[in-house]
Amino acid sequence: MSLGRAFLLAGPALLAAPLLLAQSPSMNLPAQVPAGSAFSVPTSGSGQGTLTIVGPGQALRQSVQLGSPVSVAAGVLYSAGEYVAILSSGSDEQVGQFEVTPAQQPSTLSFLAEPSRLPVDLQNGISGTVYVSDVYHNLILKPMPVSFNLSDSAGPSQTRTVITRDGVAWTRMNSASKEGSAHFVAQVGGVTTTRVIDEVPGDPCNLSMTATPDKGKALLQTAPVRDCSGNPIPDGTVVTFTASFSGRQSTVDVPLKRDVAEVEMPLPPGATVSVASGVVAGNEIHWSGR
Amino acid sequence: MKLPLKSYDTNQQLFFAYHYMHDWWNPWNVKWFTGFSQTTYPPLPQQWTALLGHIFGLQYAYMLVQFVAILLLAVGMYRFAAIWVNERAASFASLAVVLLGSESFLIYNAGQLATTWEAALYILALPYLYEWLRYGGFRPFIKALVLFAAASAAHDVIIIFGTAFFTFPLIALAIMERDKGEETTTGAAVIGRAVAMAIAAAVAIGLVLLPYWIDLFRYPVSQTPIPHASRANYLLTPFWGTNYFLIPWGALMLALPFIVWRGAHVRRLIPLLLGFWACFLVGLGGTTPVALWLLHRAFYVLTFERVAYWAELLSLPILGLLCSELVTRFRMKAVVPLVVLGAITCGLPIAWSNYQPTNSINLDVRPVAEWLNRGGHDNYRYFTLGFGNNISRLSVETRANTVDGEWYSDRRLPELMKFGGGSLDNSKYFGPGGLGALQAILRHANRYGLKWIFVHDPWYDPLLHFAGWRQVDQLEYGAIQVWSKEAVPPAHPMVFGVKPPPWQCIMWGIVPIGSSILAFLLWFIPDKRRQFLTEEDDSDATDETYMHERLAS
Amino acid sequence: MRGALLAIFIGVATIGLVAIGTIWPIPSAIYFAGSGNGSVLRSPTTPEIAIQDLGIRIRLHQMPAAYSSLANKAEFTQSEFDQDVTGFYRSLRTQATLETVDSQPLHQSADQAEMRVQFHWSTILGPYEDTREIQVVRNGDRWQVDWPLVKRPSVPAQVIPVNYLRWDVIYSGSTDEWGSQNVAGPNVRIVDMRPVNRAEGVYVLGELLDDDVVPAWVDVRATLIGKDGKILGSEDSFDMISHRLLPKQVTPFRIHFPNVDLSQVGSIRMQPESILISTSADPVIEILNEKYNALPIASLTGQLSDQSGRVVNFAHVLTTFYDSNGNVIWVSGRYIGRALPPQTPVNFTVSVPEDLARKVSSERTIVAAYSPRGDAL
Repeated sequence: MSLGRAFLLAGPALLAAPLLLAQSPSMNLPAQVPAGSAFSVPTSGSGQGTLTIVGPGQALRQSVQLGSPVSVAAGVLYSAGEYVAILSSGSDEQVGQFEVTPAQQPSTLSFLAEPSRLPVDLQNGISGTVYVSDVYHNLILKPMPVSFNLSDSAGPSQTRTVITRDGVAWTRMNSASKEGSAHFVAQVGGVTTTRVIDEVPGDPCNLSMTATPDKGKALLQTAPVRDCSGNPIPDGTVVTFTASFSGRQSTVDVPLKRDVAEVEMPLPPGATVSVASGVVAGNEIHWSGR
Repeated sequence: MKLPLKSYDTNQQLFFAYHYMHDWWNPWNVKWFTGFSQTTYPPLPQQWTALLGHIFGLQYAYMLVQFVAILLLAVGMYRFAAIWVNERAASFASLAVVLLGSESFLIYNAGQLATTWEAALYILALPYLYEWLRYGGFRPFIKALVLFAAASAAHDVIIIFGTAFFTFPLIALAIMERDKGEETTTGAAVIGRAVAMAIAAAVAIGLVLLPYWIDLFRYPVSQTPIPHASRANYLLTPFWGTNYFLIPWGALMLALPFIVWRGAHVRRLIPLLLGFWACFLVGLGGTTPVALWLLHRAFYVLTFERVAYWAELLSLPILGLLCSELVTRFRMKAVVPLVVLGAITCGLPIAWSNYQPTNSINLDVRPVAEWLNRGGHDNYRYFTLGFGNNISRLSVETRANTVDGEWYSDRRLPELMKFGGGSLDNSKYFGPGGLGALQAILRHANRYGLKWIFVHDPWYDPLLHFAGWRQVDQLEYGAIQVWSKEAVPPAHPMVFGVKPPPWQCIMWGIVPIGSSILAFLLWFIPDKRRQFLTEEDDSDATDETYMHERLAS
Repeated sequence: MRGALLAIFIGVATIGLVAIGTIWPIPSAIYFAGSGNGSVLRSPTTPEIAIQDLGIRIRLHQMPAAYSSLANKAEFTQSEFDQDVTGFYRSLRTQATLETVDSQPLHQSADQAEMRVQFHWSTILGPYEDTREIQVVRNGDRWQVDWPLVKRPSVPAQVIPVNYLRWDVIYSGSTDEWGSQNVAGPNVRIVDMRPVNRAEGVYVLGELLDDDVVPAWVDVRATLIGKDGKILGSEDSFDMISHRLLPKQVTPFRIHFPNVDLSQVGSIRMQPESILISTSADPVIEILNEKYNALPIASLTGQLSDQSGRVVNFAHVLTTFYDSNGNVIWVSGRYIGRALPPQTPVNFTVSVPEDLARKVSSERTIVAAYSPRGDAL
């Protein structure tokens, strides 16, 4: 073997030696990591490498010294879900998976209370749905008891406790018989969220009116208008007075003011006057002119 | 300084140019009428504005392009007038064109950039046409042909409706003088050359504006005619008589008796006089029945301020003669009044446009554009009421699209085509037609994703209220009200008509502007120097000689 | 000489053509000269021409000239005449343009004529007719209109306390957390609905109730579905509804589908839409002395009386007509041309299709109102 040929073989061999001596990179991933917590990933091998972590809505890439543990600081990985970690060095790489789980402590409740306004005395008329999340807005899938409480001015409050399923709990409540604002509270652990439900009067009940002469006209006036539970119908609700006489008709839509609707109408004697509100009809009177 | 920018159609021209600036190769513009093709409007001046806009900005580019049109027209008028009158008189005609009332009206009041460009290129072509008719030869033929094609790339109206007024006098003159001058020809040869030019020009113009013609044949004018006050009788409606006759004609009216008298007395000027007269009568719109007799249905499509403009252009050679003779005889005593009258004629339309702004409303549309561009408002369509010609400027400023627009020829929305109104924005000025279109579009708001109406005129409020729209915001300290309709789905792309295919888009981006570049290049090739006969060489002009003697005495 | 002849010919021909165009104007010239029915200003040599001339001047807003042409102008000022023609307060009339005038002689003698004149106005809310009986008197060789001036209604000076309820709405901001509570929309309910087949297409008629304790801005959309399941059309009630509803208020609605026959329709999908609005409960408008006239022209007449202390500028009367079984058979609407001054009755007429005239057994009327200043009503 000539000297030249020996150099030809030895040169590439010397160049390739570091590669042959270097170990493939590897890492030891934890199976589960709580969202937002710090953790480290031990690695083996030598030389420089790159750790890439990809997960739901998040991606992380950092240079690592193989053989030393890689630290991931608190608050870096916070979205719950399956993550893929790739440790690469040159053409070698190791791929692993781990799961970021929601924090166990509930932090926020997304509370959907529907409707925000409903008539009194309605069975199962109110629905409440709660989504329990941790501080990073990850849905906590572990079953947890949720306490629903509806308190209103009518009397004893209604309470239900529901265990979450896949992070969600829901319930239905009845509206009270008395109008007013009800407070609908959902509570998990020490976290509370409140919604306000307006319980409003229902349709008018026993609508009635009187007619008295006034400055040559008839003053038509309803008795205080209330629903069947005795709640006053809100001001602004329209009451319709209709007077019929001699093949003619006069009509007026009057909004309630302080529970009463009143209007002056020019009526001839013998006119028939009726009153209604929405689809509810009231009494009918015959106007004699006195 | 920016007076031309205040004129009526300027914003529309800038809107078209803005589109070319940002999307040269796609003439489909979705900002108006849910989408329309700019191939329905000859593109040359807007494309030049777009190109220069990259350097100077859009507004200065517009004024530069308009300025170039004035320069080209002055040169063209000198050469056109030199066919009919001596060079000195032609110089006066050339000077007069800059002060022409109609020119000033079109630039400062109407903003018809396309019309001024078209006229300039067309007038430039006419001397070559005459040379071709008289003497033949490839050079005048090709120059005239390319200039005609370039003129059509700027606008098509003069080519379609004005050619008879300009070219028939030239053909008649060429036949009248076939055996005079340095080279003689025959009447048959003149007619043959005219026919050859007509065929070649038809082919060239057909090619340059091919996408335009395809669209026109596919959608012939079928809209209910939109009223235009230039079709009024100017005596029965003195306001419109002032607007469309007194103001554009200005002091030129004083010269009308001379133009008729001299034109009738000089034999070789008679064809020009007759062309001018016919054009003058048509340019009077509805004052005489002539325009309706000649144009039939086209009468209700054309607007006649531009025909009056052509009539004024045709009168200029004889006016130049008058100026020349007055200056020769009276020197400064003539120069001063002529300059004053010229300045008044030029200034009158500018003053009138400030005194009686046609539809120009001083309104800052940027707050409206900003409102539309934020919060997802541009997911819906909109239109304006009472914004005047600011709707084009608003369209430039905002990403949102409107169902309205100012270019009526290519609107395909059935609601807008049926009623004979102009733009929705000023529908109250179009009587039952305009209001019918407004009501129809409001009825179909959901269909078009139409959710916003910007109102600068409370006149429309009752309709919006009773049609179920609500005022939701106000801008510009309450000067502009924003009205909205509930439950309108977001706008989705809608195509009324046909989008131009890719080959037409490419052609539209190359051929029209290419024709103008070619025309300018050919135009700079020196011409064979020919001395046309003038009215002074007219041996039969006994009456004219009489006039000269009278003037000299 | 030939030149002079040509020049004279051109001059004379031009003048002649202008004269022809002026004496016998073409349609576009007539349009701009102020008359939509084929005439322009002429010397008032007949009562009809005097009426037409007056109409043209009103159309062109040449009110001083119109006033000057009247025979009885000494009895009132031009301002009173202007206000009578265009309205005392902002209203449909103040925004209207007179399109045409039709006149019909009732009595005529050598010096006097009584005409029934119908003014056809074009307004933002559609065409509008106004009929007056007008005297025309002869003055020399001219006829002049004796204008029947309607004086401005005078309301006694008074203070009317208005303390009706007002609702304001504050919605939560867009940056609030997901699931946070917002104000629920009003509950509305269609309490009656009926499709009707007519020559102009299908109409969907019905009534909508605000079944809540808050005011609502409402609309009704109907979608016709063909027997093959395809959508035949989708329209909303446009202006044939009162869009503003107070609690427990009922509005009729009418939705029109042109060019559709009911035999094509398999089903109808109704979508009442409502949102909560800020508004107040006034004004209260009484509908007085409603009378249904089946003959000779089927119509409902009556009066509106604004009980509040401020002018109602625009009012829309909406009437539901029922048959003897209480079914809705038609919904009609009519805009009132003049503003409703406080405490002053204003007449109205609502028309009914002739073929339904005999089926009408009862009716129910409401008024939708709009006054530009202040809140949307």
